[in-house]
Amino acid sequence: MTTPLPSETGRVVRFTMIGLLAFSVLQVCWWLVDQSHYAAGTTNMVRALYSADLMAARRLQVAGVPADEISGYFPHVVPDTEGRLMIAPAATDQLEADRGAHVTQYTWESGFFLLVLAGSIGVLWRGLREEREVRRQQDNFLALVSHQFKTPLASLRLSAETLVKRQPPPDYTRQLSKRMIEDVVRLERMVTKILDSARLERGRVEFQKTRFDLADTAAQIVAQLEETARERGVKLINRLTTPIEIDADSIAVDTVLRNLLENAIAASAENKGEVTLSAAPVADGIAVTVSDTGVGFVPSDARRLFEKFHRLDTGDRQSHGGTGLGLFIVARIMHFEKGRAEAYSGGPGQGATFTVTWPVTTGAAHP
Amino acid sequence: MSDQVPRILLVEDDLPLARGMAENLRAETYTVDIVHDGQTGLERASAGDYDMLVLDVMLPRLSGLELCASLRQQGVNTPVLFLTARGDPHDKVRGLEAGGDDYLTKPFNLDEFLLRVRAILRRWEWYRASVASASALNFGGNQVDFRSFRARAWDGREHELTEKEVMILKVLAERPGEVIGRDDLLERVWGQEVYPSTRTIDNFILRLRKLFEREQQTPKHFITVRGVGYRFDSEGTAS
Repeated sequence: MTTPLPSETGRVVRFTMIGLLAFSVLQVCWWLVDQSHYAAGTTNMVRALYSADLMAARRLQVAGVPADEISGYFPHVVPDTEGRLMIAPAATDQLEADRGAHVTQYTWESGFFLLVLAGSIGVLWRGLREEREVRRQQDNFLALVSHQFKTPLASLRLSAETLVKRQPPPDYTRQLSKRMIEDVVRLERMVTKILDSARLERGRVEFQKTRFDLADTAAQIVAQLEETARERGVKLINRLTTPIEIDADSIAVDTVLRNLLENAIAASAENKGEVTLSAAPVADGIAVTVSDTGVGFVPSDARRLFEKFHRLDTGDRQSHGGTGLGLFIVARIMHFEKGRAEAYSGGPGQGATFTVTWPVTTGAAHP
Repeated sequence: MSDQVPRILLVEDDLPLARGMAENLRAETYTVDIVHDGQTGLERASAGDYDMLVLDVMLPRLSGLELCASLRQQGVNTPVLFLTARGDPHDKVRGLEAGGDDYLTKPFNLDEFLLRVRAILRRWEWYRASVASASALNFGGNQVDFRSFRARAWDGREHELTEKEVMILKVLAERPGEVIGRDDLLERVWGQEVYPSTRTIDNFILRLRKLFEREQQTPKHFITVRGVGYRFDSEGTAS
């Protein structure tokens, strides 16, 4: 979302550059061919001159001019063993050597330029591909975010219009009003998530460490998410009930746990599964684990899950109602907290386990 | 359906929205079943006797478009109203190509939603009643079965017809020899609000000519009345 879209003009410039580079490659190839022809032509021309010189030298020889004098006029004409004049083999060899050197020089220079040009094209091509990928991700993001926003908006509007159209009894009015508030809260959470991810991506965050009880935070979040889980047929189990003191930013911890639990609930809704929250001290800190019996993922995707918009790549049918930002936010927060976030799954349909580890804990008690 | 309360299957993964829609449909006296994912929706729609389906496009497990396409492949022709957050024309066309009857973009107006549901049910009701009175059409060596959506053409070839094709045939066959305007056809088969252009009808007529006319260039059954619409001649005596 934060990567700027290249402008239309930028794209035109890049395509023009590639066109020019392609033209340059052809031009260089043409130069090479042209210079080969030129060198061959020059050699042939000099050979013709040498032949003319040989004829002239032979006439001088017939006219009785001494061989030494003739050699002075035509250094490249020499007598053979029988005294007949001929073009010196060394001169012919030199001509060939010159031609070869000329062609070789142009071949190397052209090769170098072609290499530079090919490298430049490669760099530009890669840039264009990356740009296309960014554009695709952004299109997907917009499509999904628009879906995620418009659905609660549709529900909100429907409830409001139902109130106006039906003039329902007090009980139903209260029910509709409650639904409207829930829709507003859903929208608010999504806006917060998008803003959080943008801030975290730019590093514009300040974490303030305080000491607090992780179990208290967990209990609050679980209580808030219980109804959502129940509605989606998911059993939410909290095993993080024993007090564990932690030195961390309380808002960050809240955000991480909430995102992990929401993600797990969404992934388990299809098969009406279970989501379990637990924690345990580990060698380098305290590890909080959210495991679910949901849709799982391909094990090789474990890292990519924490990338922005990853969920979007899995297509419509695995859209569980997220923006593709939740796990990205978790990973970024854990990065700033100098902790780590890990994901594990045996494969699609086999559930998943997400573990976040905070590096600094004090007074840990076993949960 | 005519003597019973229409049954609607609503496939929407957003629980509050699904509840809101179902409550309003029930208030209009329809019977409504709700499911929250595409796969279950497909199973219910294939097995159940529904008069109409309301499908969200973006569903877990199986998208609404895939669900609709699967149903059509199975020969289930229950009319479909698509709901989607995407409003661009391309998505609309995709929905209609998948066999959808109408398309509503979220967030929608409640009255408009109910109106569209009513319109689709009315068109379907008309089609069913019409088929009950005349379930087959024979013209120029062609035979069309309005119940199975199958046809045998004059050259012996068998064709599977789409819901829209049989509905157009039905409208035309009801009034043989009469000129039927494009707008009239649109209203009867789709409802005016769905397609932006009456050119759509022209494309369907071209397809029907391809299937049933001996010479497409000089049609004898599906006659164009320039600037107005079409006339159906079951005898094929038009020149």
